[in-house]
Amino acid sequence: MNPEYKDILLDYSDEIIKKWMDDLEDNKLKEYKSTVSNELIEQVNREFVNLIFSKLKDGVNYESLEQFSERIVNLGWPLAYLTEGMQSFRSICIRTILEQIDNKDEAFFLEVMDDVNNWVDPIKNQLINEYSNNWNNIISLQKVALQELSVPLIPVMEGITVMPLVGTIDTDRAKLIMENLLDGVIKSRAEVVLIDITGVPVVDTMVAHHIVQAAEAVRLIGSTCILVGIRPEIAQTIVNLGIDLSRFPTKSSLKKGFEKALEMTNRDIVNVKEKDADIIDDMVQSIDKE
Amino acid sequence: MRIPILKLQNYLLVSIQVELDDQTAIEFQEDLLNKIHETGATGVVVDLTSVEIIESFIAKVLGDVVSMAELMGAKVVLTGIQPAVSMTLIDLGIHLKNVKTALDLEQGLIKLKQELEEK
Repeated sequence: MNPEYKDILLDYSDEIIKKWMDDLEDNKLKEYKSTVSNELIEQVNREFVNLIFSKLKDGVNYESLEQFSERIVNLGWPLAYLTEGMQSFRSICIRTILEQIDNKDEAFFLEVMDDVNNWVDPIKNQLINEYSNNWNNIISLQKVALQELSVPLIPVMEGITVMPLVGTIDTDRAKLIMENLLDGVIKSRAEVVLIDITGVPVVDTMVAHHIVQAAEAVRLIGSTCILVGIRPEIAQTIVNLGIDLSRFPTKSSLKKGFEKALEMTNRDIVNVKEKDADIIDDMVQSIDKE
Repeated sequence: MRIPILKLQNYLLVSIQVELDDQTAIEFQEDLLNKIHETGATGVVVDLTSVEIIESFIAKVLGDVVSMAELMGAKVVLTGIQPAVSMTLIDLGIHLKNVKTALDLEQGLIKLKQELEEK
């Protein structure tokens, strides 16, 4: 940067900052002002300006830039604040230099523009990169979390396993479901698998197709699938769409499905004792003895 | 390479431990049917635990063997189909609808017994 401009900017830095703050005050932060205190805005703005001027003095300091952007991201300030702030800052700087040097030459004008751009743009780019990296990180973390949640497989007792499905099923997830289902069946040696679709909001042809495929695959590896949690509206859609689910048993609730599964594995639910009656019997007997 | 077919009381046990090619599969089909004829077996368990790949022709042959054996009065159960194999078969649209399956040899034998008793 031309040292002459640099000196001007440094000399008038206070004035620039003041103008910029006023400008920001007027336009940019109105929407966020209600949620953030004035002091905080003031403080962050000052830090921002100091950062920009420190670059002018001693070159870029990536560490402090990183720290600053991290702080802003954590505060949840919108990216627009940074970009708009940088734009108005740039125009104020250019104006100040032009006011101080009386020269209407076109080449001179362009030179000032270039210089200021070279100064301000790298900072802006760096900040935007930081922002988008941060977003990407969040998205990938959430993706992993979602995947972990998406295909639970619960072995409830010997030979019986339940897979509760919650949320919309797309092709990727259907694939994941099928893989997990088959591996889980082999691992837990389940004779019966209950697929619970209570939490699946919409069952269209595609979802039904995926479920049927999964059930068929389960049959091929030598286990049986029961589809449970069929709500009335789902039953209606399935019939209206002409989807054939007759190849494997379906039940309205997990409870009924579980009973069916017990039946298929030759088991039954038995009450251990009729406790109350027993206790009364004992009491009657003891009274008789006396 | 011929696939060994073992007789256990009324049942025939077959464990397929090589990758099936077309030739072997056809030979297996003939051998199994001959053996059923010889022994008068009423049940067959075909164990596919060590089979990693099944392509459409082999799947068709397996399905056919099951139908043929049932024509000769022997129930067939396929056991130990691997998840990956099952997924490929479903993707290929081969559902082997008339075939009974079980998780492993033990379950297969239990299933056969049940089926035969029901009859």
